[in-house]
Amino acid sequence: MDKIRIALAGNPNVGKSTLFNRWTGMRQHVGNWPGKTVEKKEGTFKHDQYEMEVVDLPGNYSLTAYSVEEVVSRDYIVDEKPDVIVNVIDAANIERNLYLTVQMMELGANLVLALNMNKFAREKGLKINKKQLSQLLGVPVIEIEAVDETGSEELLKSIVKISKSPNIVLDRLEYGNEVSEHIQQVKEIIDEDISGMDAPSSWIALKLLEDDPEITKKIEESGNGQRVLKSVKKMQRHFNDVFDDDADAAITDARYGFIAGLVSESVKKPKIDKVTKSDLIDRIVTHKYLGIPIFLLIMWLTFQITFTLGDPLGGYIEGALGWLGETVAASMGEGFLTSFIVDGIIGGVGGVLVFVPLIFILFLILSILEDSGYLARAAFVMDRFMHKLVGLHGKSFIPMILGFGCAVPGIMATRTLENEKDRLLTMLIVPFMSCSARLPVYALLVAAFFSAYQGWVIFSLYLLGIVVAIIMAAIFKKTIFKGMSAPFVMELPPYRLPTVKGALIHMWERGALFLKKAGTIILALSVVIWALSSLPVGVEYASQESVTGQIGTVLSPIFAPLGFGEWQATVAIIYGFLAKEVVVSTFGTLYGIGEDGGGEEAATEEAPAGESTSVEQANETSAEASAEEASAEEETAPEEDQGFIAAMQELFTPLSAYAYMVFILLYIPCMATLATIKRETNSWKWPGFAAVYTFVVAYVVSFVVYQGGLLMGFA
Amino acid sequence: MSLAMATENENLKIVQVWHGGKFQKRLQEMGIYKDSQIKVIKNDIPGPLIVDVKGSRLILGRGQAQKIMVEGE
Repeated sequence: MDKIRIALAGNPNVGKSTLFNRWTGMRQHVGNWPGKTVEKKEGTFKHDQYEMEVVDLPGNYSLTAYSVEEVVSRDYIVDEKPDVIVNVIDAANIERNLYLTVQMMELGANLVLALNMNKFAREKGLKINKKQLSQLLGVPVIEIEAVDETGSEELLKSIVKISKSPNIVLDRLEYGNEVSEHIQQVKEIIDEDISGMDAPSSWIALKLLEDDPEITKKIEESGNGQRVLKSVKKMQRHFNDVFDDDADAAITDARYGFIAGLVSESVKKPKIDKVTKSDLIDRIVTHKYLGIPIFLLIMWLTFQITFTLGDPLGGYIEGALGWLGETVAASMGEGFLTSFIVDGIIGGVGGVLVFVPLIFILFLILSILEDSGYLARAAFVMDRFMHKLVGLHGKSFIPMILGFGCAVPGIMATRTLENEKDRLLTMLIVPFMSCSARLPVYALLVAAFFSAYQGWVIFSLYLLGIVVAIIMAAIFKKTIFKGMSAPFVMELPPYRLPTVKGALIHMWERGALFLKKAGTIILALSVVIWALSSLPVGVEYASQESVTGQIGTVLSPIFAPLGFGEWQATVAIIYGFLAKEVVVSTFGTLYGIGEDGGGEEAATEEAPAGESTSVEQANETSAEASAEEASAEEETAPEEDQGFIAAMQELFTPLSAYAYMVFILLYIPCMATLATIKRETNSWKWPGFAAVYTFVVAYVVSFVVYQGGLLMGFA
Repeated sequence: MSLAMATENENLKIVQVWHGGKFQKRLQEMGIYKDSQIKVIKNDIPGPLIVDVKGSRLILGRGQAQKIMVEGE
């Protein structure tokens, strides 16, 4: 079977990923470009008798050496020489989009233009003459809609055809006499002096005139570049004299000039700009006074929906795990191995798996918000606020919102911030955004103490996270990250309806990380916790005499002023550093939750002997208190497990439970987050700093909450 | 006058960009450069601006807009 290697290129937000997902479906692999912290997506699919290999290049506006993404893209085009490059273009923004196209043509790339979002272009009143454009550029131009099948066949046919007979595009570019002449002169010297370059010499000439640091370095290293570089310097001076502009600006002008010519011949624009639906929505969503309330409302709805849908689904998983635990216990009888499987694995990993629906739904909603274009509006709305309070711009807010899902993608999203100081600062505050792994902890404690105010209590924690993040950012900005904040420019993509497939794939990419964590770190930790809870040999499982209990007992006085000086709470905090959802599975393991199906009977039966009487009593009171919940037992949500709730009510008071949730929210980011900060900053300094300072902040805030609460008469 | 002082929905031409280096490059590739057309869509003080450049919408920080000089057409 013949192989065709395709690269997808285009500006951000043009529907490149949608096309990629539609082509490759689940046959894709997400990794990093070698040695770079830039995501690389690859995938395959079959078309006729061809095996198509697709690489999704990072979304760029240009091919300069000024950002890692752009360097990755152009190196790929130069070094790997894909058979065909499909340049996806937002038809509604054709003029700006062609800037990248022109730069790929300079590289001599074998292009097919895929015009996407034609509906939106028509709504704006643009009429694009594809045939004309295709003739002028010398490349095929195909109208597609990435969200459906429109133009799909034609695009694939074109790709196959072009892979066999490449376009010759270099001589299509017209940059005006002066610029073209200079490029030609430099090109000639390059051709004479330097051989064996991968890229076209006219492109190298152009890049040298633009002062591209990477290419200049390559030429210097070639050993024969003196004459070339000297003539480049001379011409740059000439540009300065003649145009009163640097060569770089003159070349940009020339490119846009060429594009303006193309557009005037092939695109008909309306005389007066039409007001699009997107503009109408923006009048409300980005409104001076309505913007922030709308943002808060959307966030509030996000969490409401997550809970309303996720809770019952978690109940099914919980039921299944309960059945599994009972079956295993029944068929294997009592013993060391049974305890290992039931207490250790099912109790630990199961305690976390129950929350998978919750987490996936949250990721799905965040994906929809991102894909629809709303997150860019949130950045706009929050900029005013962030600027004044913190001195960061609105773009920093996107990593923070992603942090609600998981701090790891949030920290990775700081890559879009150009200024290193802003980027570090954002990384340090993203962990305060309450990630989905912390949800299980709240869900458990809220069900035990605040079931009447569930939504509000959880909302207050999210808000507290944001407030602490903003206060810390303001402090950092005045101390260690003093200085100007980075300039702010970003595209405001038009609203679009997210596709089901796109949102699901997006959700899966992020959610799978969580599942992987449940299968690896959490599984391993559950075993460790179980082992430490079973040793030394002969102790009651997870009792205070076990190693776990002893560690907790020694360290617990530290937390006594915060209201949770019990050893179990301390043990959960220690293990929670490894991954925050482990707090729940630690309680699960310590109280043997995994083996009961949610029924009272099982809970009392299986509770650790030392606790059993008190658990039983508490269990009764809680059963009385929430009689209707207990009656709906078959479909109860995970955190409504009566045994678990009783154990929590034994361990905490409402006030100390709240202080505990505050502590879990703020204290040391999980291992995975610290590892990500280490990878992104390439030093242990920042993750170390993050760990220490968040611990201090968590301690102080929890202390204030607990002691303040006591003073005000809460218990 | 600076872009930050421009009224909404007026067609403008950029006469000078007082930015340098990397950020100037970024503006160029997004369509903001000397002699190009620009239109302010939203200009609520304080806060960033929304501008229209070659048919696409960009968010531009107020501080950055202050360093872009424009004139009416």
